[in-house]
Amino acid sequence: MSSLPSTANTDNGRHENGETSTGNGRDRDRDLILHYLDRVRLSATTRGDSKVDGEGEELPTELNTINSAGGFLIVSPDKLSVKYTTTNLHGHDVGVVQANRPAPFKCLTYYFEIFVKDAGVKGQVAIGFTKESFKMRRQPGWEVNSCGYHGDDGYLYRGKGTGEAFGPTYTKGDTVGGGINYASQEFFFTKNGALVGKIPKDIKGHLFPTVAVHSQNEEVSVNFGKTKFAFDVKGFEASERNKQQMAIEKISIPPNMGYGLVKTYLLHYGYEETLDAFDLATKTTVPPIHIAQENAIDEDDSSYALNQRKTLRQLVRNGEIDGALAKLRDWYPQIVQDDKSVVCFLLHCQKFIELVRVGKLDEGVKYGRLELARFVGLTGFQDIVEDCFALLVYEKPEESSVGYFLEDSQKELVADAVNSAILSTNPNMKDVQRSCHLHSHLEKLLRQLTVCCLERRSLNGNQGETFRLHHVLLNNSTRR
Amino acid sequence: RKPPFFFSISYHLSDCRVREEFFAGNLEAIDPQISVLFARILRGKSSPEFHFLQLDEDDEEMATSKKVITREEWEKKLNAVKLRKEDMNTLVMNFLVTEGYVEAAEKFQRESGTKPEIDLGTITDRMAVKKAVQNGNVEDAIEKVNDLNPEILDTNPELFFHLQQQRLIELIRQGKTEEALEFAQEELAPRGEENQAFLQELEKTVALLIFEDAANCPVKDLLDISHRLKTASEVNAAILTSQSHEKDPKLPSLLKMLIWAQNQLDEKAVYPHINDLSTGKLEDPSE
Repeated sequence: MSSLPSTANTDNGRHENGETSTGNGRDRDRDLILHYLDRVRLSATTRGDSKVDGEGEELPTELNTINSAGGFLIVSPDKLSVKYTTTNLHGHDVGVVQANRPAPFKCLTYYFEIFVKDAGVKGQVAIGFTKESFKMRRQPGWEVNSCGYHGDDGYLYRGKGTGEAFGPTYTKGDTVGGGINYASQEFFFTKNGALVGKIPKDIKGHLFPTVAVHSQNEEVSVNFGKTKFAFDVKGFEASERNKQQMAIEKISIPPNMGYGLVKTYLLHYGYEETLDAFDLATKTTVPPIHIAQENAIDEDDSSYALNQRKTLRQLVRNGEIDGALAKLRDWYPQIVQDDKSVVCFLLHCQKFIELVRVGKLDEGVKYGRLELARFVGLTGFQDIVEDCFALLVYEKPEESSVGYFLEDSQKELVADAVNSAILSTNPNMKDVQRSCHLHSHLEKLLRQLTVCCLERRSLNGNQGETFRLHHVLLNNSTRR
Repeated sequence: RKPPFFFSISYHLSDCRVREEFFAGNLEAIDPQISVLFARILRGKSSPEFHFLQLDEDDEEMATSKKVITREEWEKKLNAVKLRKEDMNTLVMNFLVTEGYVEAAEKFQRESGTKPEIDLGTITDRMAVKKAVQNGNVEDAIEKVNDLNPEILDTNPELFFHLQQQRLIELIRQGKTEEALEFAQEELAPRGEENQAFLQELEKTVALLIFEDAANCPVKDLLDISHRLKTASEVNAAILTSQSHEKDPKLPSLLKMLIWAQNQLDEKAVYPHINDLSTGKLEDPSE
């Protein structure tokens, strides 16, 4: 990493130990900027996230009336029912309808059901999946890249005119379901709430839920999830996840790994009081917990300035920003010397936030003019400053779209930034560990886990679930 | 003059089959990505002093099947992950609470603002039960469990039997032979009659009485402190379950999932691993 010609104060700062901050100081500050300002932006976007499920894919909701095999069938006004109107004469006058959107990819399964209202003259109903380019006058499964479970013979068709015996036939009054299991890459079908069978899915790309009727008066209604399914899909998903979970549980990890990681986490972020209680507890359990990585922990020197970091965190969390700034000037002047640094920005912002919190708006405005105005022109800071100032506008700022500034998470963020900045002043820190002051070991492991799962999914045609810590913590299952 | 190394490699690139030929003085001079693939291929072959090396069918298969991700690309992906501090704090709190470290959980709540997922008061109660069993005061433990929630033992016959069995072991340990036999006959024998597995456990336990030197007999494991810990663990788990809380912390499962995920991805890609869970250090794929 080349050393940038420094115009910044970091070069002029020499702290108590006589160490000169070199180009590395600029790199560290840049890392801090990117990391913590991004975290502020992340808070903004995840504000309503608890309700948002899935990964932004739109689901099929109704039948597609535009590309259906017009002339042979009618779709009901609510687009959830289809009826074959004429008399069928041959194999190229099937009344086929697809859903308005393809099945989403980024989930464990996709599932929908049909209900046979009337089996008509010949009961040639079918349910299956087809691609966008499907010939809309053929039964699903009769053409390549499609599959269908047919009610008249109970056969499964997947790509040619002859199918294979698969399950029971179905007729008026039956509820039949079709689904895709992305983890096992299989299609599965159900009848009246019971699983009929599964077959491998070797069709790539987007697939549309498809329904077909073929003889006079056949009528079928579709359920894309608006009403409860006959088949317990959630239970099916749970048992599939369970299979995977059991395979995972069989893996062995070194004993007491969790304890070591919790300890380094507490050290890294400066939660000194928790750490002391934790140490005491692990030593007094029966039998005492031996944390094998004690050596590794010492090498990291993560207990550097532990007490000071704890103190600063407490001051920030209590809203005593002036106190925090005073201590920093005293102990680590190089961190607050550049008044355009990230740490200064976040601290001044927090002071502003604390004033707004108690309704001292005039004082807030004064403070903003004095300490925050200089950030308005700076790229990277501007959007955040503006959002922060917006707090002044609302009668109930905590309920507004910028209310996240008033939450606990913002205080935590500022405390973390100060913590990182102090860690980065450690003269013992080797260059290799430059990112050490940003991520604890636990965080590194969680990131690796996330990327491995994402990459695996991406190599699987981008289909299936991936790892999201937030969901793991919300649900009582360890994978979502 | 023939160069020291000549080899060709075929692979798929956007649906085209590509064949490249390389000349190099040594393996290290080759593009690092290709050399990784190569190291795999050469593994198991004889020494690379061949002047002419040609890949056979199997090697070509291996060379084409895996995606190579460089350390730089991988680090970019790592940095792009959006991980919330609150979620990590919750994970740590879950660990402290499940393990029963009340003071640490309280302090953590104060220092980080993270809310514990269950009432900390229940942890203290649970830990008291666990400690009682660990110290051999089983009667006391049973009383405490019933104070906490009488349904726990009612709905958990196996747990109740194990607690009674532990009580019997403690009586035997203290040399109270007569009392032990009485206890076994009144409390444990009826359970043994109902359940074959319980009967076998009971017989094993009573066998302790037969041996003069119980500490060296075939069933001496029952006297070992680890048996107390096992029972304590069982009680701990049952209490947590009765409070609709998972009996194990989530963190170790996630660590296992990491190893599993890396193993799974190994089938399709070459990329930097984390091999040492305690440091989280990223290592280039080693060959």
